[in-house]
Amino acid sequence: MSNIWYYVFTLVFFLFDYFILAMGLNIQYGETGILNFAYIGFVAVGSYVTGALALPSSVGTGQHYILGLGLPFPVNLILGGLASCGLAVVVALISLRRLRTDYLAMVLISLSLVLYDICNNFVPLFNGADGLYNVPEPFAGVLKLTTNSFIPFFAAVTGVIAALLWWVMSRITRSPQGRTFRAIRDDEVVAAALGKDVFRNQLKSMLIGSFYAGVGGGLIIQFSGSFNPTAWLPGETFVVFAVLIVGGVGNNVGMLVGSLVVETLLIHLPAFLPAIPGHPGLIEYFDSVLIGILLMAMLWFRPQGIVPERVRRALSLGAPANLVAGRGEAPGSAPGRPVPVEIATADAQGEK
Amino acid sequence: MTTDRTTTPATGPDETRFALSCDGITKAFQGVRAVNGATFDVPEGLVTALIGPNGAGKTTVVNILSGSMTCDSGTEHIGGTDVTNWPSYRIARLGLMRTFQLSRELGGLTVLENLLVAAPDQAGESMVNVFFRPSAVRRQERENVARALDILETYGLFHLRDNRASDLSGGQKKLLEISRAVMASPKVLLLDEPMAGVNPALIERIGGYILDLKAAGVTVLMIEHNLSVVERICDHVIVLAEGQTLATGKLSDLRENEEVVQAYLGEVIDASTHG
Repeated sequence: MSNIWYYVFTLVFFLFDYFILAMGLNIQYGETGILNFAYIGFVAVGSYVTGALALPSSVGTGQHYILGLGLPFPVNLILGGLASCGLAVVVALISLRRLRTDYLAMVLISLSLVLYDICNNFVPLFNGADGLYNVPEPFAGVLKLTTNSFIPFFAAVTGVIAALLWWVMSRITRSPQGRTFRAIRDDEVVAAALGKDVFRNQLKSMLIGSFYAGVGGGLIIQFSGSFNPTAWLPGETFVVFAVLIVGGVGNNVGMLVGSLVVETLLIHLPAFLPAIPGHPGLIEYFDSVLIGILLMAMLWFRPQGIVPERVRRALSLGAPANLVAGRGEAPGSAPGRPVPVEIATADAQGEK
Repeated sequence: MTTDRTTTPATGPDETRFALSCDGITKAFQGVRAVNGATFDVPEGLVTALIGPNGAGKTTVVNILSGSMTCDSGTEHIGGTDVTNWPSYRIARLGLMRTFQLSRELGGLTVLENLLVAAPDQAGESMVNVFFRPSAVRRQERENVARALDILETYGLFHLRDNRASDLSGGQKKLLEISRAVMASPKVLLLDEPMAGVNPALIERIGGYILDLKAAGVTVLMIEHNLSVVERICDHVIVLAEGQTLATGKLSDLRENEEVVQAYLGEVIDASTHG
């Protein structure tokens, strides 16, 4: 396989992987309003656990890690996702019951830093700063894949997993459960006054999002064969947030678009560009600058993102057409389409 | 007058039965006692007004009764069940719904979705049902959508069903809050100044809706400063002053009560006389 195809399939892998990660953060933040600034920590837990479960016992490998069960793919990947869910339960019980918005965000940033320090310094856990490496490539032995053929193969596997997870997420967000998440995002007090158990629903959202984070992290270590603390600096969370903001918060299709623009085009593509003579590695440092500029531009000019959150109209919610058409319509309005909101008249001043 | 098709048939009001009772409720904010032993009963099937001067603790009482806030002491009962300091979602599931002084719409959702959120016992809020009983979820969703559209038509919001709730005017948001509460099939409805800041025509409409709800058997407790509205639609009045229950009864009787006149009614009458 020529170098160009190696690059292309690597980019395709990261496109799908960040699509998965963004969907996970989107259900937490975009749909439920949980400002999870520790998201990359959940990705890391999924990655480490997936890798450590795939590796054989650490004895004689030159690495130090727990687990080491040599489990096959995708069993290890699913367990990696569930490990992130376990972390979500702990975090939710500690923080979600009593903290909201900015206070919750601060606690989660702190959690991210604590997790990072533990994994970086406590060597027996996941090999400390060196991280895990030599993680077996899935199906490489069975399918007799070479390094070159493994990359497109695993990019395709990741695409299939992303499609499956997108279908699952779409079912959730289109259901009454998704509507309850959005109600909590818009106003927790109102949602509770309407009979919604806010904590229980936030916990559900955290679990779903964390599973996606864990699976996305697990796919990274299975693709690259290694994972260490430099791959998940706490600031990486903001890259996933950038995917959300650019793509369109609250829209799963927007997550794919955001992943394409931010992760594929701005972060990974420049790494494959020829170096500037005399300044090796300079291009790679530009990604943060470009993402920052893009974020400011989006928030200023198009805060709803490239693909805005969908307006769920009566007909798409299952209202029979005969119930909607020609009934209670304001003059000049078309059935099933939003109409201009009435403007307050002189005697209605003070209403707005 | 509109016809409400969304609540249970009327069985007739009963002034000897109480839908909601509170006894000795207190609440302090950093040493300031906002509510200081409020005690009253809300008769079942009637419209009751909660009146009093600004700072009397009316909204705090409503917040406590609906579970949005906990009380420091005292008890609250809904239909005989002690619900003191229950979280608001549990109180809501018992059938007590509320609206807010400043309208709080779910702004990112459409008008129709605002009502759908309020539908009780939704099968589609369970992950198991979403993935393993999708037809049951769809069937219930269709029923809820049809009922929500009926309510929107009743409340004159049908043509705005697909608009985001954040785009509505102040008066429309008041109507949305009431219709959203109705969607939950409430037994008791707490309305926090439903007529505040709306035009006279809409005040008439909202008054009509409240009487429709009463006719359907819903108990209503409303905070209201407009005494002509209280006179016309409320059967019973509770006067709150300095966090305590000053008096209860019919407004015509309370006008003769010296304490009430001094604490509140005199103030209101003066205000209306002088401008």
